[in-house]
Amino acid sequence: MKPALAIGHNDLRLFFRHRASLVWLLAMPVAFTYFMGFAVRGPGGPASPRPAVFIENQDQAFLGKYFLDTLGEQGLRIVAATNRAEAKRGIRIPADFTQRVLNKQSANVAFSTVDGAGDEAAALIELRVLRALVAINGNLVEHALATSGQPPTEEGLRALNARENPVQLDSRFAGRKPMPVGFNLSLPGNLVMYVLMNLMIFGAATIAAERRYGVLRRLMIHPISRGTLIAGKVYGLILLGLVQIAVLLLVGHFLLRVNLGDHLPALLLTLAIYAWVAASLGVLVGSVVTAEEKVIGLCLLASLPMAALGGCWWPLEIVPDFVKLLAHLVPTGWAMDALHQLITFGGGFAKAKGAIGVLFLFGLAANFTAAKCFRW
Amino acid sequence: MALLKARELLKRFGEICAVNQVSFEVREGEIYGLLGPNGAGKTTTISMTCGLLKPDAGEVLVAGKNFWSDPQGARRILGVVPQEVALYDELTGRENLEFWGRLAGLAPKESRQRATEVLEALSLADRAQDPVKTYSGGMKRRINLGCALLHRPRLLLLDEPTVGIDPQARMNILEFVRGLATSGTAILYTTHYLEEAETLCQRIGIIDHGRLLAEGTLTELQRRLGGDQLFVLEGDLQNATPEQWPDFLERFRVIQKSEHQLVAAAIGERDPAACLKQLLALPVRVENVTLKRPSLNDVFLQLTGRQLRE
Repeated sequence: MKPALAIGHNDLRLFFRHRASLVWLLAMPVAFTYFMGFAVRGPGGPASPRPAVFIENQDQAFLGKYFLDTLGEQGLRIVAATNRAEAKRGIRIPADFTQRVLNKQSANVAFSTVDGAGDEAAALIELRVLRALVAINGNLVEHALATSGQPPTEEGLRALNARENPVQLDSRFAGRKPMPVGFNLSLPGNLVMYVLMNLMIFGAATIAAERRYGVLRRLMIHPISRGTLIAGKVYGLILLGLVQIAVLLLVGHFLLRVNLGDHLPALLLTLAIYAWVAASLGVLVGSVVTAEEKVIGLCLLASLPMAALGGCWWPLEIVPDFVKLLAHLVPTGWAMDALHQLITFGGGFAKAKGAIGVLFLFGLAANFTAAKCFRW
Repeated sequence: MALLKARELLKRFGEICAVNQVSFEVREGEIYGLLGPNGAGKTTTISMTCGLLKPDAGEVLVAGKNFWSDPQGARRILGVVPQEVALYDELTGRENLEFWGRLAGLAPKESRQRATEVLEALSLADRAQDPVKTYSGGMKRRINLGCALLHRPRLLLLDEPTVGIDPQARMNILEFVRGLATSGTAILYTTHYLEEAETLCQRIGIIDHGRLLAEGTLTELQRRLGGDQLFVLEGDLQNATPEQWPDFLERFRVIQKSEHQLVAAAIGERDPAACLKQLLALPVRVENVTLKRPSLNDVFLQLTGRQLRE
């Protein structure tokens, strides 16, 4: 076990001694994630699903506050006077708002524009104000019917609010899942592609170079088994993959604002198993291909089509059925399935476990074959 | 005590028999030289003794136990210095030593400590923190040797450890190897340099075309040619037929014959002056006769019919 760790740590150290390698490990994946995400961004949702409004509530009585809460429930973000610059629209609730409603008189709420605010946000706010007004008027009517015309009370109205609506609209995508677009596609796509490409190339090229310099032979004359040597090589590559994965996830989350979902442990498990698959494939190529000059070309020839086929470059939702079938003959397809499930579709481990299981089988097969074919 | 015994080792690569029935042993504190030209089978023999190759027949005993009955145990006793400089160029000398020490089974702290000792012993302490890629050929060879010494092996296999370095660096390495043998390490040393085998090794095995042709101390090998007497005749020997010269083959053994040179060893203890007289009386035109002490090259010449340097 200790020699395997020593081999793995040494390989990682060697990688970081090659400064140029960092370009492929970190800079290129980040750049490609950004540009690809920018290029394949979809129509998307509104820029801000909770547009900000500034509300000047002059009414000290309960209906003013109740109206404010209803606006919030309808998806408006109410900002304080200190953050007024963020607001896209302004609303003023008059001082006699409660009094006039109780007197069954019409009450006028002033709705004002803000200079520089876009029309999209304004339209969304108007829609939500309208929905809030419908909701509050509906509750007032229902309260009056329930109490035989008694004036509304705060408790009564809030009780009506707490009740489940008798009619609800449950909307979802018809037929198929929503298509991942933008950074939600480019982050997992580039993660899967670059982890595979880097681990395959670095793993195979390192083994080929070590074979040429006689280092593999030297390793084999030490008191370590062949299995330990393979484990050490795979372990070093997994560590390298984890560094790349960590950097891309952090960049994706903090800079590109990709919501990584609520299933981070499952996401990390998927990526760790996938790194194991890629590392084993790298060791396998290094074991089988003894011609050092062919190793990098071969790894590129294998990893790029696998990336394309597996859905790293475009969503599998847009490809014909036979391509979808082909995608699931390669580990990239299963990795993308699991990642989209966890990041975009909000499915947890239960939804991704099938793909994770298949990835695990890929890992076992690649590792076993690499150990079997290893040549010093 | 013999730490390494090779018994009738045989290794084939397809139709080629790389090593054929080779047997030898290396004792504690002894430097055993395996001398032969490139392609003679030296590296294949070393590869079988350290477990890189399995022999097709024969066996290797390390410290009295069959290598393949406990390969990891045998490897713990062994240190191997490969012919190529098998190091990580990007790492420093110290990092290389520590890494190979860890793989030899040392704990990190012990590996660090031993690396310091080995760097001192190899006179490389002042360059310990420099990447190996900045080292000279001789320094790389020394680190290459040092990487096999971290775990204090009782048996050291050196496969042509001085190839391609300058004479001064070679002298340093040979001196270091002598010191190891003095401290009790058994050393198997392969080389194709005659001088190294002559000056370094207590016993020498001569190998060619996969066969061990002769072995013994330098003196024993020289005696095969007739003790201290070797005569080199130069002249027009194109039509010379030694087998037809009266009594010649009873008194001399022909080591080599060419158009211009005849090398012959006197058979038995004989007076050199008498030998010279007989040679000058031969029915050929001799321009020069030299009397010399036989070298390993002459032994090789006698055994194979060609020069080791060819």
